[in-house]
This record gives sequence, C-alpha cells and structure tokens, in this order.
Amino acid sequence: MKTFEEKFTAWIDDQLSDAERAQFEAALPDRPAADAEKEQAHKLGAFLKEQLKTRAMANEEFFHHQLRGRIAREKADESETQSLPDLRTTWWSIRRLLWAGVTSLAIFVVCTFFVVREKQTQDQSQYLSQILNARVDPAVSPDATVSIFQTKEDRVTVLWVDGLKSLPSDYAAK
Amino acid sequence: MHTEATPAEADVSELDLVKQSQAGNTEAFDQLVSRYRTRVFGMIYNMVHNEQDAWDLAQDGFVKAWKSIGRFRGQSSFYTWIYRIIMNVTIDWLRKKQVKGAGAEFDDAIQLKEINPASRTVPKAEALPHERMEQREIRQRIDAAIAQLTPEHRAVILMKELEDMQYHEIAEALDCSIGTVMSRLFYARKKLQNLLRDVYENI
Repeated sequence: MKTFEEKFTAWIDDQLSDAERAQFEAALPDRPAADAEKEQAHKLGAFLKEQLKTRAMANEEFFHHQLRGRIAREKADESETQSLPDLRTTWWSIRRLLWAGVTSLAIFVVCTFFVVREKQTQDQSQYLSQILNARVDPAVSPDATVSIFQTKEDRVTVLWVDGLKSLPSDYAAK
Repeated sequence: MHTEATPAEADVSELDLVKQSQAGNTEAFDQLVSRYRTRVFGMIYNMVHNEQDAWDLAQDGFVKAWKSIGRFRGQSSFYTWIYRIIMNVTIDWLRKKQVKGAGAEFDDAIQLKEINPASRTVPKAEALPHERMEQREIRQRIDAAIAQLTPEHRAVILMKELEDMQYHEIAEALDCSIGTVMSRLFYARKKLQNLLRDVYENI
C-alpha cells in the first residue's frame, strides 16, 4: 500500500495490521475528522446493504428456458463449424487442384505440339511435301505456271507446267 | 462472500458441476446457473438499474461463461470466475451506453477533480427527515447516485458493500490490482457519501 487513498480504505475496512494501523493513525493530521469519515463509510455500507437488497428475478424458469435455447444454438453452431472442413485445408486443396490443372494443361499442350508436329512431318514424307510454283519468263509466257510435286519416299518429282507457250532453251530437256 | 448453498456442499458439488459442464453437460451448467442467477441478476441490476437490461446482460454473461468454461482451471472460485465474466459484460455495456449517451459522466479525471480526498462528509443540517421519504424515493436517490460513478467504481463498491467480497477477489473479478481496488473504493465511497449523506444520516 502506497497511496493515502489505499491506506485510508484499508484503515476503514480494518484491513491494516496493528503496526500499520498505529503508523497510519499516528500520521493522520486530524484524527477526529478521520474517525468521522470512517463512521460515515460504515454507515454508507450498512445503508447500501439494507437498501439494495438482492432483487428477485421475475420468471426464473423462463430465464432458464431462454438460456438453454441460446446454449443449444451455440452448441449447434459449434458442431456445424466443426463439421465444416478446415479453411486452411480447403485452401490447400484448392491450390493443389489449381496446380494439378495447370500442370495437366501444360503436359497436354506439349504433347499436342509434338503429336501435331510429328503428324505434319509424316504427312510431308508420305505424301506431296512441297508444291513449288514458279513463273517462267513473263515476256514469253505471262500466264505460265510451273508446279512441282515431290514425294520423298518414292523419290519421284512431277513437274507440272501449265500455260507455257514455249519452253526456254535453258529448260529444255537434255 | 456468501453462497446460496452451504459452503461444503457447494465446494464439492460445484467442482463436479464445473467438470461436467466442461464435458459438455448442459444440465450441470443449468444447475450452476440456478445457484448464481439471483445474485448475478441482482448485482447487474444494481449496476444498470433496469430489469430488462439486467436480464439480457445476465443471459449474455452466462452464455459467455458456457462458451469459455473449458478454460476455467479452478485457480479461483467459480463464483469469482463467473463474476469476472459478468462484470466484463456489464462494464462493456455501460461504457458503450455512455459513448452513445451523453457526456463524460464516467470520466475519472472529472470525478477526481470533483472529489476532494480530504473533504469531510458530515451530514448537512437541512437534510430531509427519513420519515417523509418513501422507500421508492430512497431507491431512486441511490440509483441516481450510483449512476454517477464510473462502471468500475460501481462494480467495486457493490462487490465490497453488498457481496462482502475481499479486495483480492474484487481485483480478480475486475482484472486489476488490489491497490486499484482500494483506490476506486475510496473515491466511490467519497462520491456516494457526498450524494447520499442526507439520506442515510436521517434514516
């Protein structure tokens, strides 16, 4: 106890030891006034105790009924919360699911790329791989078209010439 | 501090009831409520001065107690523990009400300015004779005087004067030091003496 208020309260409530009480009372500047204060405090306490008698609760059964209802709802809410999956677990599941989806998609794209590429390569090797269009001398044959069809497997090349009026000497078969 | 059951019976069975409540037994908790509802309700009523509010706050307090009963370790008496919950609920409510309502009625600084620790509280000569004052009026005077205390000061003086609780029990219930309890008690008494001396001196 340090402050005057604390010591004074303990003195009023007779909570000081004999030594503390003697010391405190010796230090009081006005003992009769302090005694009057103590008496007042005791009167106030007795007055409050007498006047503020415990107020009976009206309809105690209904109080219990209402309380039981609230507790039952609390329990129901609690069990509902417990039955729900943990938020963190849910979050991890969603994350994992997302990663799995992205990985699957990536694998699919890579596989598709290689499959399509392989297919194109096969097409080129099995069938006509290249068509070359060329125009011969425009002064001589302005509408002439030369197409080359090539099959690598069979080592065959077909030269298709269309609209050619005359064959330049350079192109003449030797 | 007094309990509604005999001390020996109350101590033994109360512990059992607490353990059963902790295991989820609502019937056991219901019995604990039965033991303390009257005192709890009376205490709250003396702090808020309204029956419906006291009812609601008692409900809130007991529901909160149910939800946190698993954390009760028996380091204090169950009554002190439940009082702590009830006081928290009630003081919070009073503070919110004060914020919504008018003014700095509960401002400690203002109160300390208004109360001179050295002031005397001898009765005034012009006090009304108690014969002319009806019981209802006395109660209204008391309620009005208590309403001028901070929620914490109300709690301290009511627990001390009505419940005969020890300083350490009040400190535990209000989660403050014993010195704070004594200091609050000092100012609460001074305030009530100043406001009610003409009443209690003439009864």
